[in-house]
Amino acid sequence: MKNTGDKGVVISIRGLVQKVGKRTVLNGVDLDLYRGECLGVFGLRGTGKTTLLHAALGVDRIKSGNIEIWGQNIAKSQAYKKKLGLVTQQPSLFADLNVAENLDLFRVIKKAPFERLEDVIQRLQLEDYLHEALPSLQVGVYQRVALACALLNRPEILIIDEIIRDIDLESRSIILQVLEAYLEEGNSCLCGFSNMEHVHYLDRVAWLDDGSIHIYSPDEAENLWRELNAVIPKKRGEQDA
Amino acid sequence: MRTMLNIANYEVRHILKDRVAFAIVFLAPLFYAFLMGSVYFSAAINDVPFALVDLDHSLASREVVNVFSSGQHFKINPEIDSYEKMETAMREGIIRGGIVIPEDFSQKLSQKQGTEVLAVYDASNLLWGYNVRKFAYEGMDEFNRRYAAAYLQSMGMHPTQSDEVLNMVRCSIMTWYNPTYSYINFLYAGVIFIILHQLGLLGITLTIPREKEGNTWIHYLASPLERWQIIFGKSLPYIIAGFFNYALLLWFAHQFILLKIEGSILLILLLGFLYTCAIMFLGFFISLYAENSLQISRYLILLSIPIFMISGYTWPRYRIPGVIIAISELTPFTWMAEAFRKVTIKNLGFPDIAFNVLGLIIMIIIGIGLSFTFRKDREPVAGDKIRVNGGLEYPRRV
Amino acid sequence: MNRMLRLFYAFFRREFTYIWRDRGLRVVLLVMPLLSLLLFGLTYRTQVLTDIPTAIADLDHSAQSRAVASDIKQAENLDVVAYYNSYEEIKRAIEKGEVVVGVVIPEKFGQQQELRRPTRVAMIIDGSNMVYAINSSVAVLQVVRTIEVKSGVKVLLAQGEHMQDAKNALMAVNFVDEPWFNPTINYAFFLVLGLVLNIWQQCCTLLSAMTIIGETGTRSWVHLKSSSIPLFIVFLAKILAHLVIFMATVAVLYGLCFEVLHLPLRCDFGKLMLFTLGFAVAMHSLGTLISSFARNSADASRIVMAIAVPAFVLSGFTWPLEAMPQVLAQVVKWLPQTGFFQGVIFLTMKDASWTYMSQYYFQFLLFALIAYALSMVFFRLIPQNTR
Repeated sequence: MKNTGDKGVVISIRGLVQKVGKRTVLNGVDLDLYRGECLGVFGLRGTGKTTLLHAALGVDRIKSGNIEIWGQNIAKSQAYKKKLGLVTQQPSLFADLNVAENLDLFRVIKKAPFERLEDVIQRLQLEDYLHEALPSLQVGVYQRVALACALLNRPEILIIDEIIRDIDLESRSIILQVLEAYLEEGNSCLCGFSNMEHVHYLDRVAWLDDGSIHIYSPDEAENLWRELNAVIPKKRGEQDA
Repeated sequence: MRTMLNIANYEVRHILKDRVAFAIVFLAPLFYAFLMGSVYFSAAINDVPFALVDLDHSLASREVVNVFSSGQHFKINPEIDSYEKMETAMREGIIRGGIVIPEDFSQKLSQKQGTEVLAVYDASNLLWGYNVRKFAYEGMDEFNRRYAAAYLQSMGMHPTQSDEVLNMVRCSIMTWYNPTYSYINFLYAGVIFIILHQLGLLGITLTIPREKEGNTWIHYLASPLERWQIIFGKSLPYIIAGFFNYALLLWFAHQFILLKIEGSILLILLLGFLYTCAIMFLGFFISLYAENSLQISRYLILLSIPIFMISGYTWPRYRIPGVIIAISELTPFTWMAEAFRKVTIKNLGFPDIAFNVLGLIIMIIIGIGLSFTFRKDREPVAGDKIRVNGGLEYPRRV
Repeated sequence: MNRMLRLFYAFFRREFTYIWRDRGLRVVLLVMPLLSLLLFGLTYRTQVLTDIPTAIADLDHSAQSRAVASDIKQAENLDVVAYYNSYEEIKRAIEKGEVVVGVVIPEKFGQQQELRRPTRVAMIIDGSNMVYAINSSVAVLQVVRTIEVKSGVKVLLAQGEHMQDAKNALMAVNFVDEPWFNPTINYAFFLVLGLVLNIWQQCCTLLSAMTIIGETGTRSWVHLKSSSIPLFIVFLAKILAHLVIFMATVAVLYGLCFEVLHLPLRCDFGKLMLFTLGFAVAMHSLGTLISSFARNSADASRIVMAIAVPAFVLSGFTWPLEAMPQVLAQVVKWLPQTGFFQGVIFLTMKDASWTYMSQYYFQFLLFALIAYALSMVFFRLIPQNTR
């Protein structure tokens, strides 16, 4: 999924400060998402991945800072939302509707044409699940539906949060294929993750720690993670021995 | 427009799939109208448990007894024949009123002295008190009339002559609009409107909390939808259902509870439409800013009876302090209930309710205006919160 | 035993913390009853309905018609606010609700009387508001009596009767009316206490609806359930904590009602509190019953309110049970609210005897036993959601 892109900035975040309740979660974050790249936001639970993604998306009001999408301040115009796709970490599909109804309602919400339905159903191989109720779906299929909903409006920016954390392998490969094809069309993707397993699908990693960000290449990130992890078992092992 | 209709379509599906919402929107209004209708079905208070304490046992006193025991106002309790018994029975609610005829009643009458009859009634509950007082006065009036006629005839007057004396100045008392003194005509329309008001609000205020609690609201925020598409799309099904309920309940009231509905159908429909819209846009606004659905249910339901009582619908309006009137005018109910009474009970035309119509229209405009205050972003929400009472309530640190 | 007591106390205390932290419930319990007291107290501030707005249209302008007008003007409870010159104007004023009673004295009223021809005065009452209409009708009846007797006496005097005889003939029986228990026919005495207690009752039911679901609906329930703590202690502590809160809030309300608003309290205060406690237990058992099978606390709240709100109207407080259809009256008799609202009036206004009140105590007790027993059954039968 390596993609260098033509360096056009899609999302530009400057000095983002965000508080949840009274806790300052993001403390002056600068981040750029380039056209055609897949940027991963890495952080452990509670470090503010989701907070960052939701702020970048414009659904959360921010305390201070400046976010621009395609050079437009997101506080000023919501035109960018036409070209946006979102998969959230928490399940957020309409639990009372079945798969087909969910897709159709998302089509309405995203003002996408009817024909798109067939395309996303086919790509994510959802034909067999169309009439199933959401609560009965496996996590993997649920995530495929969520991604299908996100792709309905042919987004140019896709924001996905923990989409393949712990799902079945078949769904995993379908989702990765779809994402690869999506990026090849020159679109960009911002994704939150907390597991290094698929880090090599990413172009860059934004490591989120203590409210600020460091940019690494996937290899650097993986090495760093290994180093950090190495500390723990060693100590234990020493103690055990 | 198409998008808005599509949103409305899915809102209907949400309602149909949510048992509670379905009950609130479609079943509860008629059920409560039926329940309340059966409470007030008798419309008037008759057969008041009553005591006739005749200490005189004369021909004249029996005449008084006759006047009170005929007709359907009173149900005489024959066991109570002394003042003491009457006192206990009144205290225990066995009777709600009584007449005491003194021992020297006939004696004084024959001596052409004035005599007194005592009427007592239970004023601890004024529904009894007011009615018994009225019935007692009517009874005594009747007795005095009969007695005077008999007296004059005993003096040798011809019936037509005595009639002439008695009816020289005849005051004819006419009660307009509600000659039967029916409590249905007085109360029931208001009851229906409070049902529509509260259940309407309860239904529509669930719409946004449902999305927020299901975590789906974020997709609306992240969507390119215009705010008006969300507001009108989500309100439309409730407005249609609300108007349908309005028509259904009025039909039910008129057909089965015998509520008097006169006046122009067009005006009634206009009022219903405005009333429904005013409720729904107000409800949408509440829905946007409400903390969660449990909270709304609690507050809204608690407000039902106060809204009814302070509106001036039962206790005369100009006897209520201005502050309270001002508060009551914040609800569509106050405007509607007054206008509806004018149209259906008093049979008045548009000019007489123009002010109320204007009030409702202003409420609609305010409701829409307030609904448009919502922004398509939100305060960041924490993922995990403490839950108290298993609800969706997040206590602040104390 | 000591351990049990300590456990009980721990959960008893925890319940107060819980309620305090539930901001919505806190507001509901602390603010709503007081707010409603303020609201209703103000609404019925005038308390008695006197001075019914009346208009007179004297189309005759004779000495006789003026005499009638002055009779009306002197009538108790009628307040003549306008004089008009036509029937149309009176009609308009009634339509607009400016006056409630309209009197029309016809043309040639005096002349007809001189000629000894019967004549009529029209008394119109606006019946659209019953509170007004029913009071007006009594006031009008009284003044009508005066007018008619006066005219009759005049005729008899002309025929040579003595004044006293004539009067006795026409108004032989004087009518004295005594409103018992509420001598001034005070509307506020009748309604305010009931309305305020109704709001209190609804607020408390909301709390009682949390008894079981408020525990089993939380994530921490799994710990309680898997612990060795006897659950009945937990729930007993909850119930007692709730009852303490119910009684504390109602004591404040009673204090304000009787001391500040001076609503009548003819019975011993302790007697009233005991009766209220009886009701509180019955009401709490109803909430508990519902909380034992509701899916979540929001549903539990809705269901209890679906019962508690109409219960006030069904209780016979605003519309007598005797005037309801028999079937309905028999059913609602078993709602604790019915006994409470009936009983409260009997106690505060009439100081009813213990023997009389015992029927209500019996109802409360029976209701509470059945409801608590059923909640226990449901609690055992319905599997709890342990996330």
